[in-house]
Amino acid sequence: MELTEQSPDSATGGYALQVQGLTKRFADLVAVDGLTLQIKKGEIFGFLGPNGAGKTTAINMIVGLLSPTAGAVLINGQDRARAPKRSIGICPQELVLWEELTCAENLIVMGDMYDLPRGVTNERVRSLLADLALSEKANTRVSQLSGGMKRRLNVALAVIHNPDIVVLDEPSAGLDPQSRLWLWDFVRSLKNKERKTIILTTHAMEEADALSDRIAIIDHGKLLQLDTPANLKKTIGSGDIIEMQLAEQEKNETVIADLKAVNGILEINDASGKINIRALNAVSLLPEIIERVDATRTRVSDISIRENTLEDVFIYLTGRGLRE
Amino acid sequence: MKFLSLATKALKQTIRDRRSLFFLLLFPVVFMIIFAFAFGSPSSLGTGTTSHEIAVINLDQGATVSINNTTQHVNDGAIFTRLLENITYPQTDTHMFALNNVSADQAQTMLKSRGLDAVITIPENFSQAVVALANASARAETASDIGLIVINESTSEAGVASGLPTSASSSQLPANITLPKQSNATAQVIVEGDTGTAAFAAAQGLILNVLTQFESQIQGMAIRQVDSTLAQNQSNASIDYISAAVQPLTGTRSLTLFDYQAPGLIVFALLMQVSSVAQDLARESDRGTLNRLKLSNMRSFDLLFGTLLTWIVIAVAQILLLFGVAVALGFEWAGGANSIGLAVLVGIIGGIASISLGLLLAAFTTNERQAAQLGVLIAVPVSFLTGAFFPLPNEILGTVFGTTFQVYDLLPWTQVADALRQVLLYGSNFGAVAIYVGFAIVLTAILFVVGVVSYSRVRLRSD
Repeated sequence: MELTEQSPDSATGGYALQVQGLTKRFADLVAVDGLTLQIKKGEIFGFLGPNGAGKTTAINMIVGLLSPTAGAVLINGQDRARAPKRSIGICPQELVLWEELTCAENLIVMGDMYDLPRGVTNERVRSLLADLALSEKANTRVSQLSGGMKRRLNVALAVIHNPDIVVLDEPSAGLDPQSRLWLWDFVRSLKNKERKTIILTTHAMEEADALSDRIAIIDHGKLLQLDTPANLKKTIGSGDIIEMQLAEQEKNETVIADLKAVNGILEINDASGKINIRALNAVSLLPEIIERVDATRTRVSDISIRENTLEDVFIYLTGRGLRE
Repeated sequence: MKFLSLATKALKQTIRDRRSLFFLLLFPVVFMIIFAFAFGSPSSLGTGTTSHEIAVINLDQGATVSINNTTQHVNDGAIFTRLLENITYPQTDTHMFALNNVSADQAQTMLKSRGLDAVITIPENFSQAVVALANASARAETASDIGLIVINESTSEAGVASGLPTSASSSQLPANITLPKQSNATAQVIVEGDTGTAAFAAAQGLILNVLTQFESQIQGMAIRQVDSTLAQNQSNASIDYISAAVQPLTGTRSLTLFDYQAPGLIVFALLMQVSSVAQDLARESDRGTLNRLKLSNMRSFDLLFGTLLTWIVIAVAQILLLFGVAVALGFEWAGGANSIGLAVLVGIIGGIASISLGLLLAAFTTNERQAAQLGVLIAVPVSFLTGAFFPLPNEILGTVFGTTFQVYDLLPWTQVADALRQVLLYGSNFGAVAIYVGFAIVLTAILFVVGVVSYSRVRLRSD
């Protein structure tokens, strides 16, 4: 399946970022293959894909760290090379900080690099450190901060120059649940209070689901699907999911083959030893399913019914789990 | 002024990184202390086994002597020259000296261009002084053998016999002994060279030793001749008929090997910057902070000039610290505040050369550790090649503006080391070191362009 997003608007109006036929080749490997996206101003755009899908390569081309083999990136309708550099801020997946400098010094250096007047920089430093609960650590060297604090500072460095577009690459990786919730609030405030356009790459489906206005799923460098989380779940994954564990996993294949004949089952597959069944009216199908399992001379050791999730959509589209 | 912000950042990082500070400042200081301890006295000079390039200007007119009732004309200057030519280091076939057959004027020119380690001038009356030494030795030995009173009576020399017993008579002197006449002829051999160089320091020590041996041989021969005739076995001759004087090249004075090495150690410290600069820049790439900077409004100029500024400040700190330590350890510093100022300026050129090489390494190393290791791997041998620690054998490429140009002179740090020696040891002004500074600037500029272009192309462009 190959998709490109169709513009609902004029060529530039309403879009903070337009990616047109973006391609990157490394020798024989096509890391990004004709990616076309249009990201609306003020939206949180989720960018999903398994490891090696081409997310980071695409992001690096979007922000200008990598030259595309083909294609173009427009920022506010302007070619990326000519667009002001301060219109984008990136928070990389890794902690990119000067360990020997203090929190405030890190931020001041980047403020200077974006030509912010020192007064403006100082005010931004003060407010960001306050927002990030790092005010008390303003004069503490980064090397003495905890991992969570460093990650928050990493985010602050992406926005010190008040960019229109903020790229957050796996911002919650390694964060404890409390810090993750704080980060989600901060991302929402960037959108709601400061009207930022946010591109969010993440492995965490619940994060993408909770934050994103729209989600693009890519794999092997190609855009597979692009829609709102609700639409993705509705169009790709209608119905509920029955997760079933057999006492004898070696009989999974036999059971799956037999259950495919059941009327109402939309999809059935083996997901890491468990049988996942997507079905409309799943509860009403349970007796027949169990009866057919018994007929194969095995038994069900565990069974549950849950709502369809973004991860199910993702697995349906990519054929593998996110954390592979 | 983004470059100032980057320079301040880098300076703070360096100052707060104790390992880096140790490597840049304390490590060379430790070297300075060790070298001062090992080479801070004149006796530490000249223990190598390399042949010293010398020229002998033999002005000796010779002397007529009577040996076994035959009169001969001898030239002891020529004999001493042959001795210098043939003498080898103990237990080796290596000649101590390589003699250059040149005129006095040519020798002076070569000395100034360091084509020669030393020039020996043997005076006109050298042979007469040698004869006088031999005669005096023979007379003294004879006196010692048969009694000075006998000699006094037989030769009627006034003042020698006073207070001696009167019983002795001329009949006690054997018939076959004819006492040689005593002469007051003395001669001074001049050993000339640049005392600022370790090569001269080593060469002059060896020359004086050979001259002392030559004197001993003359004395020994005379004494043995007397003893064999009188069948005696004692000697006590100690008259200084031949002496030598070390004459510094104009503007130089007697120095220790440490004095020669101290400016070289400053250059060694500057060369340590190669590793640190490469490591710092590689760290920026490694940690991703370089990408962060590249995405900002920072231009290549800001990063490169900021880096340059940081390391120039560190270079100045290194020069002043090491100079202070060297002076405290006995370095013979000549000149006043002006010479320190000039030395700092010269040192900055060396620092820029090191920064340039650091940029080059940072362009082609993939991580911080690799950059640090490669930096040391290059900087340490280069510091030896600049002659920072000991003089290197002559590998002359040619002559430029009257100055001999050697292979090592292609390294800007060699020029910086030479200039620092001139400025700090002899208090030379800018005019005197202009040739070194000029070469250093040209070589550094070439290295800087190569370093900046390489780093910019590899690290500062989009992949």
